[in-house]
Amino acid sequence: MGIILYYLRKLLSVIKNEVLVLPSRVVVALFFLFLLLLPLFTEDPYLLRILTLTSIFAILAASWDLLSGFTGQMNFGHALFFGVGAYGAAMLNKYAGIPPWSTIPLGALGAVLAGLVIGIPCLRLRGTYLALTTLAFPIILMGIVFAFPDLTGGELGISGIARLARSRVANYYIAVVVMLGLCTIMWKITDSNTGIIFHAIREDELAVRASGINTTRYKLLAFSLSGFFAGISGGLYAHFMRIAGPSTLEVSMSFQVVIWAIFGGVATIYGPVGAVFVLFPLMEVLRFWQDYRILMFACVVLLILLYMPDGLFRWLRDKTEKECPRCKIRNVAMRHTCRICTAQLD
Amino acid sequence: MERWGKGILILAMAFLFAVSSFTVVSGQDTIKIGVIGPMKFVQGQGHWNGATMAAEEINAKGGIQVGAKKMKIELVQADSNEFLNVTDATTAMERLVTKDKVHFIVGGFRTEAVLPMQDIAMENKKIFIGVGAAHDELCNRVARDYKTYKYWFRGSPFNSTFLGRTSFVHLATVGAILKGSLNIPKVKVAIAAEKAEWTEPLIKGGETAIPAMGMEIAGIWRPSPVATDVTAELSAIQRSDAHLIFTIFSSSVGIPFARQAGELKIPAVQVGINVEAQKDGFWQATRGMGNYVATMNTYARGVESNELTKAFVDTYVKRFNETPTYTADTYSVIVNSLAPVIEQLGTLDPEKLIPVMETRVHKSCSGTVAYLKDAEGRHLHELRWGPGFLTALGVQWQDGELKGFWPNKWKPAPEAPEVTYKGMVPYKIPPWMIEKYKK
Repeated sequence: MGIILYYLRKLLSVIKNEVLVLPSRVVVALFFLFLLLLPLFTEDPYLLRILTLTSIFAILAASWDLLSGFTGQMNFGHALFFGVGAYGAAMLNKYAGIPPWSTIPLGALGAVLAGLVIGIPCLRLRGTYLALTTLAFPIILMGIVFAFPDLTGGELGISGIARLARSRVANYYIAVVVMLGLCTIMWKITDSNTGIIFHAIREDELAVRASGINTTRYKLLAFSLSGFFAGISGGLYAHFMRIAGPSTLEVSMSFQVVIWAIFGGVATIYGPVGAVFVLFPLMEVLRFWQDYRILMFACVVLLILLYMPDGLFRWLRDKTEKECPRCKIRNVAMRHTCRICTAQLD
Repeated sequence: MERWGKGILILAMAFLFAVSSFTVVSGQDTIKIGVIGPMKFVQGQGHWNGATMAAEEINAKGGIQVGAKKMKIELVQADSNEFLNVTDATTAMERLVTKDKVHFIVGGFRTEAVLPMQDIAMENKKIFIGVGAAHDELCNRVARDYKTYKYWFRGSPFNSTFLGRTSFVHLATVGAILKGSLNIPKVKVAIAAEKAEWTEPLIKGGETAIPAMGMEIAGIWRPSPVATDVTAELSAIQRSDAHLIFTIFSSSVGIPFARQAGELKIPAVQVGINVEAQKDGFWQATRGMGNYVATMNTYARGVESNELTKAFVDTYVKRFNETPTYTADTYSVIVNSLAPVIEQLGTLDPEKLIPVMETRVHKSCSGTVAYLKDAEGRHLHELRWGPGFLTALGVQWQDGELKGFWPNKWKPAPEAPEVTYKGMVPYKIPPWMIEKYKK
């Protein structure tokens, strides 16, 4: 009992001193609570479907940010990882009868392999050249899919694969818990020493190499990690939709991820996740004006990017919080002195 | 503080707006039919136009008699956006089923999207009549797992195996006409198929069927589905001395292929599948150079598969100023398939409707509808193809008008009676071909 009370006190202390001190952390905590508690208030299958798909795509968007936002390896063919994860999981389930809890990580390992396969030849490329080269890979894979229709289902895809879970609520919880878990892991990676090296590679690769760091290894690591997380989202998608088809490899899928990430704010992890949670449901809300749905969506994205070029969530964070010029700790915008070092903030 | 207040107000309004858009009020005394399709494209427009005509016609008569009360039809449109986004299609279907609470669903087009859409409808035990997707797998699922997939029926067109069979019949028909009229001893066929996976079985089938028909394959050409210049392919076809071009096009390449063949006066006739040639705008798009191009189709002005066709086509043309395509068969699905069974049984309960629907033989605007069973006697909910049932049409552009030329005295078997639909005209050979071959 004493141990429980100790941990409870510790939790309250963390909430009071670490979470409640910053609006962004309060929002993240509320976001976690909202997603985890929502089915207690509603089991609306439509709403749960939207949020399940949103969670799956949030993993995908965050995985792009890990590679392109943090490491600066501009990937315009992210659908490759998603598609490999989806096809890998679907084929293992359909032909080997392996259950989804195994097919999803195995499919993700396939995506890691894909990450290495494209990462190695792309190591010498940077910027636009890298972006254009990566753009080609999902198209190549789509050609392979069509070349072996007996195995891949061709244009039809692989359908009739096992569900993630029987009930919609269970599907929802699987997607949401995996999303929250993986995004936290991605955020922790970016906050670790590895993340700092990723940052540094993006800013000045030559300087990183001059410091004795093997940038090739770190770039391949970024490709592999991003491929793994995107592959998980592909596997989840395939088992939720019960189909893995060529649409998972389409160019539009790759660009959608880029739009989400830039809308939310690159090199943040939370930005792309938040963007998917705004934009994906927004498309559903806009169904009331079906004829102008895509146009309105485009207008929203353009307006946000026009006035908030660093992304919506970065802008919001900068409006509500400010960084201490001395100790670099973030403080709520209303404070005049830093909560840690008491330096003047204005 | 005032700024924060404004922000909170905007957020509250956005929340209310979002909540309201996720909430749908449903009418109780109406039969709600969800019409799902790619509404920004002609296929989806066809779905909606056909369903609109059906609803207007039924509602003008007071509705459908369901037991003691008359219920009007209320259509709910869902843009599946399936050509661009399969995920969008599934959420549209989920909304129809769980928010709009429709009783029945008609539509769907792209098979990759229809498969997950089908799963959603089946999970919710809603009758989903497909109008557009032709893949066999959609109906094979019914046979494999009847308990789950029995709510699916194919409405139009018949499956891709039968589509292939029909196009080979057209090929044989035109080949026989060429042979007879131009005294060509052995007709040479060039296969022109767009580079797409769906054309593969037809090409493979052609490689076996064409020699079996007593014709010779001159070669196979595979232009891109979106090619804008096919003169290289056409020149090669001309050099191969082909008399007949078996086209397998569903994309925009059908227009440049027909136009440039007309411009170059290639001495070979086109027959097969050219989806662009099924549309009224084809004549203008090819600037009249698509004259004599033949394709498979479901409807043509002046052609009657049965006594229901004329009224439907005429009303459709009058209302929408275009000839209906097969996705407009949502009309027949509602008027001829669903409504009579609902009236007969006086219920909207799918469990009671399905046993009647799967065994009922009835007329629709494009022929007689009956559902097939597989070799093991299991229900497929697959449309029956053949004389007396659904056959589709062979149509040809003749001086700016799309005319029907098949079935015209068609004998499916030597001992079978001839089949001819009302309004058929003789097939026309282009004059430049007659000039070249008629001695």
